[in-house]
Amino acid sequence: MRGLFAVVMLDLKRLWVDRVRLVSSLIQPLLYLFVLGSGLGASSTLGGKGYLHYIYPGVLGLSLLFSSVFAAMLIVFDRQIGFLKAVLVAPVSRLAIALGKILSGALQALVPATVLLVLLPLLGLDLSPAALVELVGAMLLAAITFSALGVATAARFRSTTVFPIISNAVLLPMFFLSGALYPLDRAPTWLRLLAHVDPVAYAVDLMRGAVLGRTVYPPLLSIAVLTGFIVVLTWLATRVFAAGEDT
Amino acid sequence: MIDSPAAPSPALEARGLHKRYGAVHALRGIDLSVRRGEMFALLGPNGAGKTTLFSILATLLRPSEGEARVLGFDTVRERVQVRQRIGIVFQEPALEGKLSVRDNLYLMGLFYGLSSRAAKARSIELLRMLGLEEVAGREAQKLSGGQKRRVELARALVATPELLFLDEATLGLDVDARRQFWAEVRRYVGAGGSVFLTTHYMDEAEPADRIALIDHGRIIALGSPQELKARVGGGVLLLATDDDAQAAAWLREHGHHPEVSERGVLLVEPEPATLLPVLLAGLPVRTRRAEVHEPSLEDVFLKLTGRALEGGPAKPAPRAAGGRP
Repeated sequence: MRGLFAVVMLDLKRLWVDRVRLVSSLIQPLLYLFVLGSGLGASSTLGGKGYLHYIYPGVLGLSLLFSSVFAAMLIVFDRQIGFLKAVLVAPVSRLAIALGKILSGALQALVPATVLLVLLPLLGLDLSPAALVELVGAMLLAAITFSALGVATAARFRSTTVFPIISNAVLLPMFFLSGALYPLDRAPTWLRLLAHVDPVAYAVDLMRGAVLGRTVYPPLLSIAVLTGFIVVLTWLATRVFAAGEDT
Repeated sequence: MIDSPAAPSPALEARGLHKRYGAVHALRGIDLSVRRGEMFALLGPNGAGKTTLFSILATLLRPSEGEARVLGFDTVRERVQVRQRIGIVFQEPALEGKLSVRDNLYLMGLFYGLSSRAAKARSIELLRMLGLEEVAGREAQKLSGGQKRRVELARALVATPELLFLDEATLGLDVDARRQFWAEVRRYVGAGGSVFLTTHYMDEAEPADRIALIDHGRIIALGSPQELKARVGGGVLLLATDDDAQAAAWLREHGHHPEVSERGVLLVEPEPATLLPVLLAGLPVRTRRAEVHEPSLEDVFLKLTGRALEGGPAKPAPRAAGGRP
């Protein structure tokens, strides 16, 4: 427990002193929302506010996905400069290191997501307290899933040159397949099938359910799938950390 | 092996360690034992296997064969017990540059299971001990090289380890910073700590109680600095000539066994001072400089391997009297 606390404390302190990263994580969601919202909204048949409301959960997903995965990618930097070794030789269980990294990544991703949450009234979205609780719960689950995905991936890499590849070959397709920007139930079959294995699809759908009250997947199914992803990815990350430098 | 409870286990013990990376055989059967309270140096050129051996002993790598015990605990099966009892200064920096010195130490304390309060108290104690109080609030990245290394040492000492691992710990430091660092290490040994260090500077290995010379993944000699030097036998004769290759050839013809190094032609002789005038008179090339000295660790390595230690001596030259202490 103390080990987990140490890992999270270290990362949060590092975020706090890294003002550039902190400020950009506050501005980034605004860009996502207004550029996507006004750009795509103008050309959408759903039109104006309606489309903005529709993509709001998608933008939340986009922000959570990229922020948490990039927070996790700092592990690769740490490994390159040798800092990770100092953490790995500490008498902390490997599960605590993996969970700590996942939790800290999720918390870091929730910073920009909270900015988006505060903007809700400005977008003319009036959520009941119950819906708001649902939305926050869905966001937490999404943040932890994406962070686990990031940590399980980043733990394996030795070099930062893979970042753009991850971003272009993994994150963007995951995001575009997820139905964050368009309704999945009207998408072609091949796309719908691919979305079935995309955790982003379940996360966005769950958040959309809280905002708009309708979902593609049953909410309980989404929760189960995301929890499953978290368990498997945490196990994978723990295994990599346990192997030390021998991987 | 079984440790009798009466005799405490050695600080460190390795048996038949091998490490292979694919086709590369980095360690080829390492056996060694470090006593408690001992300062033990692993000396060898770059690529000899020092860091691999270090990483295995420090629980970061698994050996392909053999086993190692640190403070009585197996480095693979009892990693956590080992990790709780050792402190490590790595070759690479292990500080978060943007965090203050104080925060770096505090966080490491948390990693070693100290409570928040205990970690704070321990950081303050270490900062005082190592004379780092003035820089406590400064960002780690803004320190000088010597200060950074002392903070690394403080970081390694956070959990009050019984055994300290130092991997090329003073690489790239100037003479004063290096001296200050080793003074702190000796203080730790004086207080009952054990040290296992790697280096390719012979003068860093010199103050160690015992030294293991490593080359191509094997320990080629092990003993106190005096024992190792005695292996060379007699004294060392160093001749810098206009043509060292020709000089060596001539010496070989006359029944000597010269080694050519960057410094010149090296001879190990039982009576070097008596031989010197004979050689000076007979050599077919002009001798620019001749030197007779007690064997150094460098000479031991050269004699055993026929090659010089990379990096050469760490100190440029002894300072003239009257220079800064």
